[in-house]
Amino acid sequence: MTTLDLNNVAKVYDGAEERAVDTLTMHIDDGEIVALLGSSGCGKTTTLRMVAGLESITEGEIRVGNRVVNTLRPSQRNVAMAFETYALYPPLRVRENIAFGLLRDRVATAEIEKQVKQIAGMLEITDLLERFPPSISGGAQQRVSLARALIRNASVYLLDEPMSQLEPQLRAVLRARIKHYLIAGKMTTVVVTHDQTEAIALADRIAVMEKGVLQQFATPHDLQEWPANLFVASFIGEPPMNLFPAVVHDGRIAVLNERQEVAFHVPLTASAATSKLGNGKRIMVGVRPHRIHLAPAGQAEGATLTGEVHSNHWLGDHCQVGFQVRGCFVIAVVGRDVPAPVGSQIPVAIPVEAVRVFDVESGAAIQHGLEPAASLVA
Amino acid sequence: MAFLEITGLSKSFKDHEVIRDLSIDIEKGEFLVVCGPSGCGKTVLLRLIAGMMQPDAGDIAIDGRSVVDVNPEHRDVGMAFQNYALYPHMTAFENIASPLRSRHVTEAEVSTRVNETAHMLRIDHVLDHLPKALSQGQKQRTALARSLVGRPGVVLLDDPLRNVDAKIRYEMRFELPRVLRRYESTVVYVTQDYKEAMALGDRVAVLVDGAFRQVAAPHEIYDLPSTTRIARLFGDPPINLLPVRPMTGAAGTEMSLAGGTVRLPADRAAVAGRECTFGIRSENIVVSLEPSDGIPVTLDAVTPVNNRLVMLLRGNEGTELFASCPQGGPLDRLRGRAKAWATLDLAHAHFFDHGDGVRI
Repeated sequence: MTTLDLNNVAKVYDGAEERAVDTLTMHIDDGEIVALLGSSGCGKTTTLRMVAGLESITEGEIRVGNRVVNTLRPSQRNVAMAFETYALYPPLRVRENIAFGLLRDRVATAEIEKQVKQIAGMLEITDLLERFPPSISGGAQQRVSLARALIRNASVYLLDEPMSQLEPQLRAVLRARIKHYLIAGKMTTVVVTHDQTEAIALADRIAVMEKGVLQQFATPHDLQEWPANLFVASFIGEPPMNLFPAVVHDGRIAVLNERQEVAFHVPLTASAATSKLGNGKRIMVGVRPHRIHLAPAGQAEGATLTGEVHSNHWLGDHCQVGFQVRGCFVIAVVGRDVPAPVGSQIPVAIPVEAVRVFDVESGAAIQHGLEPAASLVA
Repeated sequence: MAFLEITGLSKSFKDHEVIRDLSIDIEKGEFLVVCGPSGCGKTVLLRLIAGMMQPDAGDIAIDGRSVVDVNPEHRDVGMAFQNYALYPHMTAFENIASPLRSRHVTEAEVSTRVNETAHMLRIDHVLDHLPKALSQGQKQRTALARSLVGRPGVVLLDDPLRNVDAKIRYEMRFELPRVLRRYESTVVYVTQDYKEAMALGDRVAVLVDGAFRQVAAPHEIYDLPSTTRIARLFGDPPINLLPVRPMTGAAGTEMSLAGGTVRLPADRAAVAGRECTFGIRSENIVVSLEPSDGIPVTLDAVTPVNNRLVMLLRGNEGTELFASCPQGGPLDRLRGRAKAWATLDLAHAHFFDHGDGVRI
């Protein structure tokens, strides 16, 4: 329904020395779904609350459409928010809680009925419409809070940990339904979450934050393929990215094991070779588990390494295989039918284009040309 | 004779029967995962085996000896708790050593055993720390070391990875089976997370309402779930379950599904004329953006999940279907709102009785 802009926004709480949010700049397109992702204390909820008007803005400017909203009250900003703590009205029935915003906007009764019915069906709370909030579970209250926000006709939708209390099976279903609802309504949305799975599933772009600083703002694909630094590399992805200490040696990367011996070599990519990777430079090497190929024993095509299989976790639609290559522990994600029995030796291939290189001191990605965050987490 | 034998075990709290006439045999060295929704009785079962609770009826035998009247410390059992339950005033060393203290083990032997166990779990460098100085992962490893240090015949683990972050959870998922194998432990491991259950278990016992509903190898539970309830517990997104009534006509056995007609293979003719619940997992539905002979659907939303895409499809008459595929195809760039065609892989489909949900 509109764009949302944050220009050099900062937040310093009274009496605090650290900045809760540090010079954050983001442009969010009309109808775009953006996730603010990070662990607790990273500044993501503070950012959301500044947009909503529940927290003052220390520096910078927030625009909803063309309008600077810094000094406007929450009710004047035309934003709809779902709270992590639900914040439902206890004396009102679930139905009245959901319809609250529409009643205030003087929407016709028949229209309210229709919309409440639709959104309650989508979020599977139809059976609870006549109940009072204190009598329903936390997960159900969370869905009521979400329904109350999504049903409104607002410029921007702000969802704070909207699915944290739901059972895993329901989560997968609701993520898809909610995404469809947001796309169909062309709703500009900011979702705050600590769950990278939720962020990747829902968002067009994800802003990864840590200690008040934006680390990377990119599509889920780019965050997974081209993390700007070690923080993003290890925060995004499940199982997490394999990360190994390594040293540059004669145009190759020597990956070190726990005893600091050379476990195996990886060739340098052309772009990495021409960058600042001088001989003897210490680096971190990252490879996503699903980019590693395991060949059945005897079919070693393209495989340059041999792994000894420690564990093979069969998960129905894929397998997670843990193996050692000369004292270096590696996790690979492969299809459900790759034979890799525990204790066996299997040929392993790590494609050179799947290798990511990071600076040990700053944590910044070295070779792939994406700009790392201005200030990095040590 | 199995190493751990549970026979006719029951336990009630007031009028609520939490464990109902439950029996299972667990072999020496086996890793059994008990998996079920919250409130199904998992933790009570572990506490009964550990001796922290007394059963109302039934028997528990470890290595041929009934232990229901034996004190917890003499049952040859080690247990680690979800919340770690470390003694806050004791160092990691003393916490790990605590099960040995009641057993007249010499100081030198205590030291040897604690150090060896700590080394294996990679916490030997923090043994002089108090729990408050340990990281989340180190606390978890300390609790685990304490359950193993006495070399118990049976190790009971109550959702030990629930409260640790993703990185530690993966490390431990891969490391734990190796450690336990070295100790030749017989393990009963409780979790609500079906992925953890499938990853770790030699067998998985599905506990619902105090009784085991299916006990089998992980692939059997996933590929041949015995009821709709179990089918839904394993799989993300959950398996598609739809009411159908297949009919046999001139063209063979067919059924209406999501606004289309699906022809069933000849070996499925037995379901004809029967009210069924049809089950198909998301990965067994192939989605095409080009017209095919599959069911015409709208692709409502595409949600990427761990290098796969989960897709919400809607049939012409409103039925929802979840499909999934690996990333790396033409669907990668879509958010949703597209026309598509869905082809079902019926070789991997399931039929359940519509009434009781039992597999046909």
